Amino acid sequence: MLDPKLIEQWISAGLPCEHIEVDGDGHHFKAVIVSGDFAGLSRVKRQQRVYQTVLDKLNSGELHALSLQTLTPDEWKNALG
Amino acid sequence: MSVQEQIHETVTTNPIVLFMKGTSQFPQCGFSAKVVQILKQSGVKSLVTVNVLADEDIRNGIKEYANWPTIPQLYVNGEFIGGCDIVSEMFATGELEKVLEPVIKAA
Repeated sequence: MLDPKLIEQWISAGLPCEHIEVDGDGHHFKAVIVSGDFAGLSRVKRQQRVYQTVLDKLNSGELHALSLQTLTPDEWKNALG
Repeated sequence: MSVQEQIHETVTTNPIVLFMKGTSQFPQCGFSAKVVQILKQSGVKSLVTVNVLADEDIRNGIKEYANWPTIPQLYVNGEFIGGCDIVSEMFATGELEKVLEPVIKAA
């Protein structure tokens, strides 16, 4: 079982996040990540940027399933309405 | 042929290719199942799938090929489109339809 808080720490250690929220059942996780670094990047590049921060965990199998929503601060504001 | 060459040939000689866990009839992972379902709903009839669970070299090689550490992975005309999150999002916004339409028509 993996604590979602730990995943938040891994990601924010490798990527400046304005907001990060990871939720999960211990095996499958869902993350909402807001970062200025995403501006101008395609969806694929944004996720690659996040994956980079947890690559060793994904490759070791420690982290198996991480679903990602990647937003810039502006997109996040709009999403919140 | 190296694994990378083999993957390159697969994604460039088939218009729509999904690297997944299991087969389109029997997906062995919820994320793979979801992408198969989205593609079917989008009108894709000639989907080529590669079961990464059947080949450890492909399973590792595909992660390197697109610099993408997770499965499933969708390719259209040789271009990496994304994994389950991106495909789902593009389906919801209608972008996926735009990507797939010319390919479906050409088939």
